[in-house]
Amino acid sequence: MSDLFEVPLVVRGRVIDDFSETFKGRSGSVGFKTADANKYIDEITLSRPSHMADLYSISLEDIIEYLAELGPRLALDENTHMQQAFELSRSTSGLSDSILRYAYETIPGSFEREQTRRIAENLVGAAYLEGWVTIREGVKVRAFGSRAVHIIAGNVPLVGVATIIRNAITRSDAVIKTPSNDPLTAVAIAQTMIEMAPDHPLSRHVTVAYWKGGDEQFEQQFYQPRNIEKIVAWGGFNSIKHISAYLQPGIDLITLDPKQSSTIIGQEAFDSPQIMARVAEKAAMDVGVFNQEGCVNARVIYLVCGTDEAGLDRARQFATMLFDAIQKLPDSLSTPHKHFDPALKDEVDALRFVEDEYTVIGGRGNEGAVIVSHDSEAVDFARDLACRVANVVPIEHVDTAIRSVNAYTQTIGIYPDALKDAIKDQLAYHGGQRMVSLGGATNPPADAPQDGIEPLRRMCKWIVDDTQ
Amino acid sequence: MKPYLRSLLDDPKNFLAMRYGEGFKVDGCDLDDFYLQAAQKKYRELNGQVAALKRLSKEQGIEDIASFDDLIRVLFPHTVYKSYPLSFLEKSRFDKLTKWLNGLTALDLNAIDASECASIDEWLELLDNNTALRISHSAGTTGKLSFLPRTLKEAENVNLILRDMIRDWYGDDTGPDLIASPLPYIQPSYNGGYYTMLRGAELRAELFGVTEENSLYLYPDRMSADVCSLAGRIRAAESKGEGGSIELSPGLMKKRDQYIQREIDKKDSIRTFFQQAVDKFGGKSVFLCTTWTMLYDAMVEARERGIDNIFGKDSVLVSGGGNKGYDLPDNWKEVIFTGLGFDRAYELYGMSEMMSGFPVCEHGHYHIPPVVIPFVLDPISGESLPRSGTQTGRFAFLDLMTETYWGGFISGDEVTMSGFDGDCECGRKGLYLHSEIRRYSEKEGGDDKINCSGAPEAHDKALEYLLNAAQ
Repeated sequence: MSDLFEVPLVVRGRVIDDFSETFKGRSGSVGFKTADANKYIDEITLSRPSHMADLYSISLEDIIEYLAELGPRLALDENTHMQQAFELSRSTSGLSDSILRYAYETIPGSFEREQTRRIAENLVGAAYLEGWVTIREGVKVRAFGSRAVHIIAGNVPLVGVATIIRNAITRSDAVIKTPSNDPLTAVAIAQTMIEMAPDHPLSRHVTVAYWKGGDEQFEQQFYQPRNIEKIVAWGGFNSIKHISAYLQPGIDLITLDPKQSSTIIGQEAFDSPQIMARVAEKAAMDVGVFNQEGCVNARVIYLVCGTDEAGLDRARQFATMLFDAIQKLPDSLSTPHKHFDPALKDEVDALRFVEDEYTVIGGRGNEGAVIVSHDSEAVDFARDLACRVANVVPIEHVDTAIRSVNAYTQTIGIYPDALKDAIKDQLAYHGGQRMVSLGGATNPPADAPQDGIEPLRRMCKWIVDDTQ
Repeated sequence: MKPYLRSLLDDPKNFLAMRYGEGFKVDGCDLDDFYLQAAQKKYRELNGQVAALKRLSKEQGIEDIASFDDLIRVLFPHTVYKSYPLSFLEKSRFDKLTKWLNGLTALDLNAIDASECASIDEWLELLDNNTALRISHSAGTTGKLSFLPRTLKEAENVNLILRDMIRDWYGDDTGPDLIASPLPYIQPSYNGGYYTMLRGAELRAELFGVTEENSLYLYPDRMSADVCSLAGRIRAAESKGEGGSIELSPGLMKKRDQYIQREIDKKDSIRTFFQQAVDKFGGKSVFLCTTWTMLYDAMVEARERGIDNIFGKDSVLVSGGGNKGYDLPDNWKEVIFTGLGFDRAYELYGMSEMMSGFPVCEHGHYHIPPVVIPFVLDPISGESLPRSGTQTGRFAFLDLMTETYWGGFISGDEVTMSGFDGDCECGRKGLYLHSEIRRYSEKEGGDDKINCSGAPEAHDKALEYLLNAAQ
């Protein structure tokens, strides 16, 4: 392809239009051209910690104001950088255009004052960010920013957005390594920051670069305690494996591992046909919003409906309603998947050879499917469920669902709320990290812990002033 | 229709009655007419007998095969032979597994009571002892074993095809007839097992005159199907939380540990093994089945010790597996053949679901015998690509040689096929695949995609060994 997208390198307030390196996209998607990060490694590294000082010439309120001013400038219909990022994402992302557009349109809202103020307060503590806090007589504590590398996920553009907000609020210096499935969104935001306030400390502490994960020449030089203090890594085994080779005392690794989410629906869902329909609609949101591309999306749905014939009938009835509800989700939130995973399709197709064990609703083309297990067991390919394919597992007792939770479980959508309250502690012991009312899985609070940890507090260096 | 094709149409097994090379004298443009009629005939024979085919046909609204499009709609997905739920194995529900299998074979398994079986090995033994089936299973790298319901008779035909291919591929009688004049047999692997390659060798032993004296194996024992399935079962259990914790019998754990230890020691064992092969069969002609990479390692070792021309000139090597994930130097073939002392080698593209492999010619093309009807499908829509020119897409086929199971299958491989309207430079006629073949599931280079959604991956060292071993 001759008209490859050009992805500039942004280094602390400078936009470098060097497109000498070409990176291939996945099959069927376009690649992009960008700078060879190795060539600019001296600029990408902030080897002199004293250069962090300018971040302390501004107040937290200045930071919140800066972000509030930045937000509206990222509006998709006005910002050409964002438009380009959107264009490139259309081919690199698993999301359909209509959903991507919606996702981009929500970006400005993430920068609103109320939102960022809540993040500062609830995820770190405004007072600690702003100055020294006396915790007892003679002892004071303050949260300082750090020099951090962020290896971000690209399945939804909001990961880059959140990273830039977190970096600003914690007064950190970020080097964002973009993923090949979203190489441009973070760049577009950084470019907008530079255009808005070229000399502002916040504009000058964001670097956005692409190098191939595992590029030893670059990573060996870069991942040194004299250059960075924290690595914030999204992604799976491979992404972490590269990094773990460079870990040493002085580098703090914050991992946001890949996770999956599930659903537990109590027998109350069957109290009336109306309730059942409403529950199916809520579950459809958890499954289908953003085409099940997120870690928050539901995949396996445990249904306390009994496992006898009558129970199975209820499960099948519910699954049909769920399938219909998924199909009815608005285009801005969910569509048939544009790159339906062929391996998943093969698995779904194979289920027709075990019709005693499973009922499949849908799954003909790329519309998605709801698979009902006839036994209280999820399908063998449960971890590969995607592209709006969910698995309804009928169970006799909620304990079966609780026992299925493991260290890789992130969100669990639960109906009704009373059941959530009753089992949330147990779910937490097993590994669940966020228990949410059914229907709310894909709308996680930005000002609450993530994946069972507090990434913002960990991004800070907690410094003590001790007068004895 | 040419008499040769007419004869195959009467009975595809006539492929065995005629010279192997005849199969590569049919013009590509003559094949489709034969293919369609042969597919029709096979479909009519098996549709009433294989329940899964009947069900798929009903679902697709197919009652007869009037076109290739009809046929493609009733090809099985490659996941079919592992479509059973893993919980059947975890809970030893071999009665259910038998019932599942019953849907995939024309044989009647209703009388088989497998409820007492406690392991896969036991179940496979039960079927061996009480039915005509000689099931073989896949390596299970991805977690589950595929079980292919092939009969003893079919397995024998696979080996007859192999004999014919070795004898006639480079011209009639250019190679030895391994049934008429057996050669000592060398297999750097287990001495039997239900795993496809081992099963094939095991069922071939009598036919090819393999005895204890004239054979050599890397390990003296059979490979356990249960051990092969462990990696997948452990991984599945991990992703099921506390509810998935599996209890493995101490016997099985011991086998697993032994298996892992062997993987760790493999390089040393192979060195010893080839030394034994030199001691026992040096200077003699042998029959050797192995992969290029394993052979290369052994021959480099031999070269370092100043050993070459190990075996007799009339030896036979059947190889495959490509050299994926392994960087061989440019002169790798020279290293191998100098060491071996012979150069009669046969390389095949094939898969356990197919009874005939496709031998490679001197131009690197895999030639398709007329008893396999090949298709190249659009990987997205699943529709057939035009049957002309050169086409790249998902490989699918109907194997005409199967008698008790439906040989229609959509693979997970991307291939490039030619030969509809032009012959290979080697002079053979008919359809052929180009050398570049890859799995659709393999990621392309340059990919650096990171998602926040995902699930457990192999962290357990033991599991890694099991997975590597199962390659």
